[in-house]
Amino acid sequence: MERSSDNWVRVIFLLLVLALVFFFLLSIGELVRIVLISALLAYIIEPVAVYIESRGSSRLAATTIIFLAVVTTAAALLFLLLPLVARQIESLHAAITSGQAAAAVRASEDLIRQKLSFMGGGSMDLAGRLDAASSRMGEWLVSHILDVVSIMTNLVIIPFIVFFLLKDGREMKREFIRMVPNRYFEFALTLLYKMDLQLGNYLRGQFLDALIFGAMSTVALWALGVKYYLLIGAFAGLANLIPFLGPVAGAVSAVAMSVLDTGSFETSLYIIAAFVVMKLIDDIVVQPLVVARSVEMHPLLVLLAVLAGGKLFGILGMLLSVPATGFLKIVVSESVANFRRYHLT
Amino acid sequence: MNRDSTVRDMNTLWGNVFKNGKKERQDVRDILKGIPVFEELGAKELFQIGRILHEREFRADEAVFRQGDPGVGMYIIAEGEVLIRTDPSGQVLAELEAGEFFGELSLLGDAPRTASAIARTPCRLLCFFQPDLLDLLERHPRLGVKILFRLAKTIGERLRKTNECLAAAGQSSGDEADAGKVP
Repeated sequence: MERSSDNWVRVIFLLLVLALVFFFLLSIGELVRIVLISALLAYIIEPVAVYIESRGSSRLAATTIIFLAVVTTAAALLFLLLPLVARQIESLHAAITSGQAAAAVRASEDLIRQKLSFMGGGSMDLAGRLDAASSRMGEWLVSHILDVVSIMTNLVIIPFIVFFLLKDGREMKREFIRMVPNRYFEFALTLLYKMDLQLGNYLRGQFLDALIFGAMSTVALWALGVKYYLLIGAFAGLANLIPFLGPVAGAVSAVAMSVLDTGSFETSLYIIAAFVVMKLIDDIVVQPLVVARSVEMHPLLVLLAVLAGGKLFGILGMLLSVPATGFLKIVVSESVANFRRYHLT
Repeated sequence: MNRDSTVRDMNTLWGNVFKNGKKERQDVRDILKGIPVFEELGAKELFQIGRILHEREFRADEAVFRQGDPGVGMYIIAEGEVLIRTDPSGQVLAELEAGEFFGELSLLGDAPRTASAIARTPCRLLCFFQPDLLDLLERHPRLGVKILFRLAKTIGERLRKTNECLAAAGQSSGDEADAGKVP
């Protein structure tokens, strides 16, 4: 009886500590975001470092080689793609603010009112809403995309953290294990190893999947003549990280852009068909090959995670919420399994 | 907490911060050279092994691991003595001292430990674990294979000795049975 009340006190204490940690992390949200992105990148790059090491290089040399390669590639991509992306953003903004888009929206509104009059929709004022959204988008672009200071800070800080996580990550883990009391030492070591293995496979799988889906979308949209194929393709790849909702969001944004640009629904069906085919390829071929199947998450859990991520950290939070939930699920399931194996419960 | 223990703790703290890494690494390399699994490795390879070992200190009577725990890896005794015993009978299977090792079978699988290891005196142990061996095999495959080969050789020798013991035990029980037969 005493033992069970002791356990309850421990559980309540642990929950209090967890709540405190959670609120502390929330209060330093920006820092957490930077560290989280750096850790994700370090996890994704880790196998490359191991491969270079296995060819006879030291860890420092392997990390430096990767770092130089990534920085050079990123600079080249920025140099080549940035003007194109900037042009696409500019052209998109112009399309939304021009009369052509408003006319297309008004035509769509008329069509919907004619075909779906039985639903009793009055004036939807879609053109007015588009106008408001366009002015909001301008503000958003200035405050987020064009926030050069923040971008430059992240471009310097994140690679710096990634470099040290890659170079000294193993030592950091050893130092952490050194602090664990003898009784929990083997348990902690096994737990860290299994988490590392599962998490690495999961994150790298997600990253590769997003990359492949993004590339497929970009090529398909380019082939269909959709104007902002680079922007929408990149967005569709990232959105694909969110199960169920992601591909729909990608397809909807591509259709919307096409309608805004051309003023007709002519290519919409082709775009939807392309996204259906790409999702099938993704589900049947890509995911079984690259995504670790070990992290199965309930759709409701994913939905709640996406909503919570969006509420706490915005669009980036929504995108990162799925890998972060996968991480938490691995931590909890491995901890419970290991506690049982080591008879610690 | 009295003053002496506070000073001792502070010494340990600063000892950890400013510890003499070079001397410690040499000490670890000397110990590793005496272990069959590592005895054929060069200085550079021993240095690499030394970097992935975990060093732990145990009090007298403290359990290193318990019978039935999942096996994770081997322990090398740098200082002190360790008892290997079965539970719950408490039968002592071996008494090991500095320079000896135990638990090496766990480097090859995670079967439960067949006996408990208890520190008989205050101990300093070097721990070499399966995850670290797997990591080593990925990063330095040549060194990893050398260790695996030596490990297989050590375990093979043990198996041969066990077979000889079993054969000898079978022979002596056969002789006893023959002697007991009524002519």
